[in-house]
Amino acid sequence: MKTKAPLINDAHRSSGAHPSSTHPSSIHPSSSIQEQDLQPQERFEDELIMNLERDQFVAETSRPVPRAALSARATAGLWLLRVFVVLVSMMVIYTFVDQLH
Amino acid sequence: MSTPEAAAPLLGRVGGPQITDEDLARSHDRSRVHHARRHSKRWRLLWLLVGPGILAMLGENDGPSMIAYAADGAQYGLGFFVPFIPVLFAMAFICQEMCMRVGAVTHRGYGELVLQRYGRVWGWFGAGDLTLTNLVTLVAEFVSIRVGLAYFHLGSGVAVALGLALVAFTLSGGRYWRWERIVLGMALFNGLFLVAAVLVKPHVGAIAGSFDFSPFPGGSFNTLLLLLASTIGATVTPWMIFFQQSASADKGMTPRDVKHGRYDTAAGAVLAAIFGVGALIAGAALLSHNGSGIQGFAGAGFPEAFKRVAGSAVGTVFALGLIEAGAVAILTISASTAYAAGECVGVSHSFNSSPRKAGVFYAANAGIALLAATVILIPGAPLLAIALNANVLATVLLPVSLVFMVMLANDKGLMGEWANKRSTNAIGIAVIAFVGLCGAAYGIDSFLQTIHLIGS
Repeated sequence: MKTKAPLINDAHRSSGAHPSSTHPSSIHPSSSIQEQDLQPQERFEDELIMNLERDQFVAETSRPVPRAALSARATAGLWLLRVFVVLVSMMVIYTFVDQLH
Repeated sequence: MSTPEAAAPLLGRVGGPQITDEDLARSHDRSRVHHARRHSKRWRLLWLLVGPGILAMLGENDGPSMIAYAADGAQYGLGFFVPFIPVLFAMAFICQEMCMRVGAVTHRGYGELVLQRYGRVWGWFGAGDLTLTNLVTLVAEFVSIRVGLAYFHLGSGVAVALGLALVAFTLSGGRYWRWERIVLGMALFNGLFLVAAVLVKPHVGAIAGSFDFSPFPGGSFNTLLLLLASTIGATVTPWMIFFQQSASADKGMTPRDVKHGRYDTAAGAVLAAIFGVGALIAGAALLSHNGSGIQGFAGAGFPEAFKRVAGSAVGTVFALGLIEAGAVAILTISASTAYAAGECVGVSHSFNSSPRKAGVFYAANAGIALLAATVILIPGAPLLAIALNANVLATVLLPVSLVFMVMLANDKGLMGEWANKRSTNAIGIAVIAFVGLCGAAYGIDSFLQTIHLIGS
């Protein structure tokens, strides 16, 4: 059976720790803040963000993934695709403009 | 148990991410998913996780598609198409499942992954062509609403106002969940086409007998090719690919949700096939009347023809169905444009962001709908040509979109253990090659007819 990527709060659960007691040091930027110092709103937000996987945060998804290293065959295939696109584009544009009249 | 790193080794990891309002909104939705999962509330979990698949499939059951199904029924009867439509949606499921899986595993949209992984040329080409195709399709959707409203003696102005009001209303909440549920609620009214089918009192034996895959009921080989190519090529469209992957990521789906994502996509495919067959069966009621009354502006005569042949209730239901089909497609197609624009520009692209923080996303969403609405208000605009050529334009992008979709789903660097298996690839590549070739054949065939190299 395919294994599932663990969620952050699942990881907390499996370690037996309560999420709110462990998350500030693991994922909140203000890791030095003690939990009792947090305002109720901050605590609420901290508990909420624990429901996301780490690579789900906007800060993470905003980081670009590296360019793919394509094989020679794949590169040739993409060049063929470009030729196809140019040819079919000309046909479709001609058809579209012709039928507009 | 695998780690997220194993699932997607190229995606960055964080020690302390900056938390945005978008993160908070998404995690709020995810908290309900985790709660349902922890307490084994299976139906609740399903309810929370359905959405992008059903919306992509029912969004594709748009005004022009439903008119096309009804026209097929009116011209050719049930024999060939009743079994053919479910086969088409089974193929659509295979393509859309890959989009959902890539979105859930990478948490990124289709446009940004193509742009970052395969270069800016392909990324911007995809977004540019999608925008053009979507604009043309949106014009056809406004036409569909106009056709439905014309049955109630309401004009273009009302169609435009209704479409734009819906876009503004759904965008106003600042939450993906709210947008999805509103559009999902509207999309279920696609079932009106099934109601229309019941109201025409079809012969049950004829429907059952149509599953013997009887041969195509007539016409030249070229007509057959064009009909097959246009129907198949329109079953999976570029906007569906952009939309479902981006919406799955925006919804916050993760690899743990892939199973439910498959249920969602399958449910969408089944519902879309049933409702599509509904439109076909309703249209077949006009067969004995030689399709009388359906000629006219892009099927504008359908509701009136139903009224004459099967009673005013059928005409009313079909007209309402056309309004619904157009309205839902306007919302989903505008959303796909907005996702593509935000992803390629590299700015916030989520319904969970506020318009202030995701200006490009919201501007593209409302802007393309506004532009399409403006076109149908231009006196003498060639709306029929635009409506009929929407699918032709999509034929350029469709094979490209499908190729990159398979490449992404096979990209082990992105997908890790969630990459396509060999068996998935065999089926997927065969379907995609077939759909892509049919789409391309449709575009080429249209060109050859235009320059009179082949007859229509």
